Amino acid sequence: MNDKLVVGIADMKMARQNGMLITYALGSCIGICLYDPLIQLAALVHIMLPLNMETGRKSPLKYADTGICETLRQMELQGGARSRIVAKIAGGARMFETPGGGNLGNIGQRNIESTHMVLRREGIRLLREDVGGTTARTLLFDAASGQACIRSYGKPELIF
Amino acid sequence: MKNYEDLNGMELDTIREIGSIGTGNAATALSSMLGCEVRIDMPEVRIMGYNEAIDWIGGPEVITAGVLVHMSGELNGIMLSVQQMEFVNLVLERMMGRTVQDYEQLDELDRSALVEVGNIMISTFINALSSLAEITTHLTVPAFAVDMQGAILTVPMAEFGGQSDYIMTIGANFICNGKAVPCRLLLSPDIRSLNFLLKKLGVLDE
Repeated sequence: MNDKLVVGIADMKMARQNGMLITYALGSCIGICLYDPLIQLAALVHIMLPLNMETGRKSPLKYADTGICETLRQMELQGGARSRIVAKIAGGARMFETPGGGNLGNIGQRNIESTHMVLRREGIRLLREDVGGTTARTLLFDAASGQACIRSYGKPELIF
Repeated sequence: MKNYEDLNGMELDTIREIGSIGTGNAATALSSMLGCEVRIDMPEVRIMGYNEAIDWIGGPEVITAGVLVHMSGELNGIMLSVQQMEFVNLVLERMMGRTVQDYEQLDELDRSALVEVGNIMISTFINALSSLAEITTHLTVPAFAVDMQGAILTVPMAEFGGQSDYIMTIGANFICNGKAVPCRLLLSPDIRSLNFLLKKLGVLDE
């Protein structure tokens, strides 16, 4: 398929009824699929860090907290209803085993925790997740079915 | 405090010079490890947005090997050696007398050779930089990963993502026995260290 909508780092895209959203090579970053099944509205956001502590807040989509909130806001503008929106998440891996290497190895874990917390706070039900581990993931999200698919190096594809 | 995108021409030239000295030293180290002549061409400094950097390195999903070292002391940051297939085979051919088609064919000994080559190049680079600027830098034990290069590259991005929307890379191509092999040595100092370094070298325009 060549009609995939590519979601970059610190980026978000939406698709309605049909279309495939894709984000490549999630390492410690997390891809969050948000879906309103009634109107088949799908959004995929690629966040990199757990909490937005920037003063200017120039790039809300870089962080789990502001990224999810901004995406929900835009979904609501497109007619999405918060009570129907469900989530699937993937990512949060630890790419390098660094002995005593600062807090680097924990970024993935902190991203997972922050994402969980924000989804709970916003009242969004988390349907499925594939998080942690040490391998990178490419995440595909189909707007028609709400189905997500994960590609990893040296592993079979995972559909969820 | 100057961020990556605020650097002026003079400061960028200084960083390019650091890159040149660092890569030159790394090339000498590589040359003695491989037992062949290694030259470098003009080093380049790039300051790129995240998605631009991933395009530059050759796309997110390509599998590659990465050796990562943390710097601490007067210079904080990450140094990453991205070892693409051409480079891997250059090392393996000279050191092990064999080549591979795929990263899955790497055995324990191959991996350890790649870590060592990456580690020595990074250490030589940092040593050259430290003596030039008269600073002390400590390096951690190298970590090794084989995975999608997009995910490997996001490691330094995530580390400094709270400070900047950009990533800086310094590097040059190696020319080994007449064949150009891209050297992907990525130096990512944090913003504070970058400013300190430029100040130490007397070029920071505050």
